[in-house]
Amino acid sequence: MNPGVQTRLEHFYSTPMIDGQTLKKMLEAGLIWLRANHQTVNLLNVFPVPDGDTGTNMVLTMQSAYNEIDKLGNHGVGQMAAGISQGALMGARGNSGVILSQLWRGFARALHNQEVMDGPALVRAFSEARDTAYKGVVRPVEGTILTVAKDTATAAATALLETDNPFEILVRIIPAVDASVERTPDLLPVLKQAGVVDAGGKGLFYILEGMLRYIQGEPLDAPTATVQPLSAMNLKNAMEDIEPGQDFEVVVDFIPTRELNLKVFYAELEKMGTSIQVGEGEGMYRMHIHVPTENRNKPTDYILGLGTITKIAMENLVAQMESIKKKSGSHIQLTNLEPGQIAVIAVSPGPGISRVFASLGVAAIVEGGQTMNPSTKNLLDAFENLPTDKVIILPNNKNIILAAQQAKEVTVKKVHIIPSQNIPQGLSAMMHLNPDGDGETVAAKMIKSLGDVIAIEVTIATRTVEIDGVAVEQGQVIALVNGILAVATGTVEESCLAALEKAGAAGHELITLFYGMDLSATEANRIVDVIRAAYPAQEIELQDGGQPHYQLIISVE
Amino acid sequence: MGEETTTLGSINISPSALATIAYHATLTSYGVVGLAPKNLAEGLAMTITHEPARGVSVSYNGEEIDIDVHIIIEYGTRLTSVAESIANAVRYQVEKALGMPIHHVNVHIQGLHISDPD
Repeated sequence: MNPGVQTRLEHFYSTPMIDGQTLKKMLEAGLIWLRANHQTVNLLNVFPVPDGDTGTNMVLTMQSAYNEIDKLGNHGVGQMAAGISQGALMGARGNSGVILSQLWRGFARALHNQEVMDGPALVRAFSEARDTAYKGVVRPVEGTILTVAKDTATAAATALLETDNPFEILVRIIPAVDASVERTPDLLPVLKQAGVVDAGGKGLFYILEGMLRYIQGEPLDAPTATVQPLSAMNLKNAMEDIEPGQDFEVVVDFIPTRELNLKVFYAELEKMGTSIQVGEGEGMYRMHIHVPTENRNKPTDYILGLGTITKIAMENLVAQMESIKKKSGSHIQLTNLEPGQIAVIAVSPGPGISRVFASLGVAAIVEGGQTMNPSTKNLLDAFENLPTDKVIILPNNKNIILAAQQAKEVTVKKVHIIPSQNIPQGLSAMMHLNPDGDGETVAAKMIKSLGDVIAIEVTIATRTVEIDGVAVEQGQVIALVNGILAVATGTVEESCLAALEKAGAAGHELITLFYGMDLSATEANRIVDVIRAAYPAQEIELQDGGQPHYQLIISVE
Repeated sequence: MGEETTTLGSINISPSALATIAYHATLTSYGVVGLAPKNLAEGLAMTITHEPARGVSVSYNGEEIDIDVHIIIEYGTRLTSVAESIANAVRYQVEKALGMPIHHVNVHIQGLHISDPD
């Protein structure tokens, strides 16, 4: 324990009062701890539809509460709580968020205008929070966050009989809150059927536990040892968090002979490697870990002492990584979204173009393009789990705009669709992204920017036809300028030059070419040299786009 | 409405059956403290009957089913979030029972109930 923490603990015990600044710190800790564990809460959902992602909704509500008091200076605990209540109300998302905001409202009311909060005041605040929350519904459903709030208030009142130090009360109620969450399936049959505890109740537990961890000086960044349902274990993304020295992935299925002590189990595994995940289903456990080469047998040996091993799988991650790299080029690093920021979803036809979109800050990429239009569900899946409700979709193809509109109608999130008809328009729109801005304003800027760029697409004609006054024979190279057929020639090079001329490239500054999978890098470089000679005043860039069907996609701006 | 023909005959689901499901889904939604009559005539009818679907109306035009709920919300909650949750819950519960998509769920906030003015 570091010295700062030591003094903090001593301070809390020598001065048994919560002041405004301490409440603010506690709220922040509750928010951080909830955020660290919000995926665990999200996984507890019973219904596929109502209330979307409970964990995310609660994080957004707490974030809004924190933003409200972030700038507040030295104020009493009453005013601080009033700010929290106000912020939570304004930012309440989903059912659990609304209930959480009511809890804060009651909490704040009990502390009206007080400078500091002692033990009895904390207990009053908890019971007022419970009463206020219960007033918000005619038929309270037990086995939900309401029940957990009720049990919290009861546990606080019990603790007050033995101590009036508010920090000590908090220490004592946490086990009762935990037990209350564990009891929720007994009260609500639908939870029992799904084999989960109530998500909102669990979220409330993490908030209170985060506050306690702050007081006790425990770290807030790592999620605790948890077991998830087997079906929820996601090992597919394991490749993304591979660390140097963690060369082998080991997955062991086993049936423990006696009940597993999770804390000890995790602690032992942490000595061997990283990326630990534990899943459980019908008595069978699955352990997942990344270990360095010399440790590759250690997890298996350790688990052998705990029970019966039914299956062992071991893979060399380094070798796997190499082959993935060969296939898809280097890894695409998407933007990590802060809760509440704007998430941009871009539809991209090739890995190279995806990389460019990723470097410009998109939160998710959906593969698709001319002949492989993504479904509404593909688009929904890309953003439903992101920790924000502000979404902007860049369809980058006119055939995909409709699917995007349907996604907008189905979701409860606030979706703006930028009707980008091609990749250059999508990239141009990305230049105007301000992730912390207002969705409406940012979308308007992006839409306005679509006209800033001219798009040229070069491909091979699949049939003989005459469109837009241009006669085309099957097999000829054609170029479209802003979606309109402009030229039909014998070679890619000729098409490029003719299309650039039609687009008036001489009057612009930057020409970017994305070459597709059907064009070799050598050929692309040769064409760029020709263009450079024809347009000496312009800056020319070449990128590996990797898209199918289109030999070249060119952006002129 | 909600008609389905099987080899044994046909199954009809009346709007008031759906309204009952919607009514229960609404009442157990957080933030709702009551349902409200949508007009004076219904208000009178509510006092003399115990129709469980008061404040809920279901309309069916031969193709699409729309549900309207008229509610009273607890003062101090975020109205849009509460209304969204109700719409989700009603749609989910009715679609689950019916096996048919609902076109629109319209939530009308008729009034606020103030337990604690703060």
